[in-house]
Amino acid sequence: MNRRRMFLRMVTASLLRRRSRMLVALLSIAIGATILSGLITIYYDVPRQMGAQFRGYGANMILLPGDGGELTIEAAQDAMSVIEREQLIGASPYRYVRLDMVSRQQSFMAAGVDFEQVRRTSPYFNVEGRYPENDREVLVGKFIADTIGVRLNGVMELTYQPAAESPSEGLREGGFAPGEVLSGGAEGWNGGRVYVSVKIDGDGFIESVEVDASSQTPEIGGACETEDFTSRFIGKKLPVALGVDVDAITGATVTSAAVVEAVNNASASAAVAGSKTINYTVSGILDTGGDEEGYVFLSLDGMAALAGGSGSLDVMELSVSAAQDELERYASIINEGGAVAARLVKRVTRSETAVLSRLQALVFLVTAVVLLLTTICVSTTMMAVISESRKEIGLRKALGASDGGIRSEFIGEALLLGILGGASGALMGFAFAQLVSVNVFGSSITFQPMLLPVAVLVSMAVTCVSCLLPIKRAVAIDPALVLKGE
Amino acid sequence: MSLLELRNISKLYGDLKALDDVSLSVERGEWIAIMGPSGSGKSTLMNIIGCMDKPTMGEALMDGVDIAKENRKKLTEIRRDKIGLVFQQFHMINYLTAVENVMVAQYYHSMPDEAEALEALERVGLRERAKHLPSQLSGGEQQRVCVARALINHPEIILADEPTGNLDEANEKIALDLFSQLHKEGTTLIVVTHDPEVADVAQRIIVLDHGRIARVARGASVAGA
Repeated sequence: MNRRRMFLRMVTASLLRRRSRMLVALLSIAIGATILSGLITIYYDVPRQMGAQFRGYGANMILLPGDGGELTIEAAQDAMSVIEREQLIGASPYRYVRLDMVSRQQSFMAAGVDFEQVRRTSPYFNVEGRYPENDREVLVGKFIADTIGVRLNGVMELTYQPAAESPSEGLREGGFAPGEVLSGGAEGWNGGRVYVSVKIDGDGFIESVEVDASSQTPEIGGACETEDFTSRFIGKKLPVALGVDVDAITGATVTSAAVVEAVNNASASAAVAGSKTINYTVSGILDTGGDEEGYVFLSLDGMAALAGGSGSLDVMELSVSAAQDELERYASIINEGGAVAARLVKRVTRSETAVLSRLQALVFLVTAVVLLLTTICVSTTMMAVISESRKEIGLRKALGASDGGIRSEFIGEALLLGILGGASGALMGFAFAQLVSVNVFGSSITFQPMLLPVAVLVSMAVTCVSCLLPIKRAVAIDPALVLKGE
Repeated sequence: MSLLELRNISKLYGDLKALDDVSLSVERGEWIAIMGPSGSGKSTLMNIIGCMDKPTMGEALMDGVDIAKENRKKLTEIRRDKIGLVFQQFHMINYLTAVENVMVAQYYHSMPDEAEALEALERVGLRERAKHLPSQLSGGEQQRVCVARALINHPEIILADEPTGNLDEANEKIALDLFSQLHKEGTTLIVVTHDPEVADVAQRIIVLDHGRIARVARGASVAGA
């Protein structure tokens, strides 16, 4: 038998002999290693797990037109090809156009989108009703819906006017088309609006007027809906003057004045040539609590039908499941191309990074505490082992064991404990991480083979550190102990 | 030159003089018994001879090396190479077999050699008990294993501390016979004992009292010879 085998024999026999003590030490190391390897697994898996969760907060990268050019869908898709397919959660094109709702004298931004992609990049969108399913349906932001009084399933008459930002004052130059119908509104009794549809001939003379005075008191202002009143406009030329061209209904002068004002507004608002109006159905009201509530959303094709042009975008929103550094890498690759400019949505990426780093710091802290506790537990056990075997250590020294010899025997025991505890802990730790992953994140993880050596090495280091103080005690034991026959 | 030469050694523990100006020389092959009541300084003397302690004053030459001047590490080396220890409590490592207990001494000295260890057990008549654990051996057998362990590295001195203190008469005889045999083979024996019968087998009996050598006598067997 050589020295090494004798050493192993002594060390293993010593561990086996103090089975109950060593089981406690082994168990604490194994538990420490379990939590260690479990947390390491989670530590490395959290970004992946959380990345998918974070995508619920919306796009984290946007593509904008590059140097002086315009952003086409093709260019955007070309730029997006650098991103790993499985990382790309959604790519949502946006085209913004200012549209008018002439009858309500309102102007607002409309976004042409791909609703299927919107659902992926903006899962937080809360839609009352449903998303539009064809080109004649729109999703209206809650703010706009409230302001202009649009209801779910109601009709929204949207007008696109090139180069016109708001209804111009006065009459249109160049007259009217024969039989053209104009619409307008004005404030009547007690803040309620009245709406009119005015049919005119080619010379600007009124052929007929229809009044919607449902917001007025039925018995009073409601009288303005009657033919008795509307017939008073027939044959008059726009604009009409109250008391001159048209007399008010007695007792409903406020509503009468509002109808006259609405008729004049109608003539003024439909004033720009080249404009186009399409009726859309409101399929949903969008409630996000954010800026989106101030937009009307319609499909890209629906927008092209109204405003012309297609294939040109203002922005492409991307939702990419990747950490900030990876996103930055993608952005820089895209930006090198020049055709498309990529920007990170810092608000999202920064908060993601902050949450992740805090979570990782927490995991790190817990790991450190667990290792400390393990160290204390193993140290206490070894301390007990050493005080129990003072005689034996004294004997070994009396037989000629050097301090180094005693030290290496205890370190040998510690390393053996570390290997056994670390290996069993690594396996249990994987099971632990799997459990956490499945229960908290709802997805499973793959075993990292590197975990086994790492857990074993850390366990060995921890047990060795734990044994430093006990070994110091052991080395200090006086060999003469064995001679004082007790 | 004597194997062991103590020159006016004293050992102080604070104000207490455990050993007070003791001089003693032991020749190679000699068999010495050290006697004395409790607190007479026996243990202290034995610790110094066993290189486990150093005198406060005086010289303690072990084979010419003054252990009073050496450090702990060197004392361990001297003990390992020159001293074989036998204890009253036997002190076996109780999770190792008899032969492994012998091999532990080889391990710390140089190289474990099972054949040699078995030979040593043969000498003390325990060849067939080699694979037994201490718990399976009687007190006498354990003491014989300890003698085998003390012999295994061919020490200059066998230092025995009450070797028969825990043995019955029959086993005491076996142990003493073993010592006689070792003595005949030229091993130097220093036996610390309370037992006058055990002391009498030695050539020279040193009686300590209050840290001093009170009396030196010849062993009965020698006197009678």
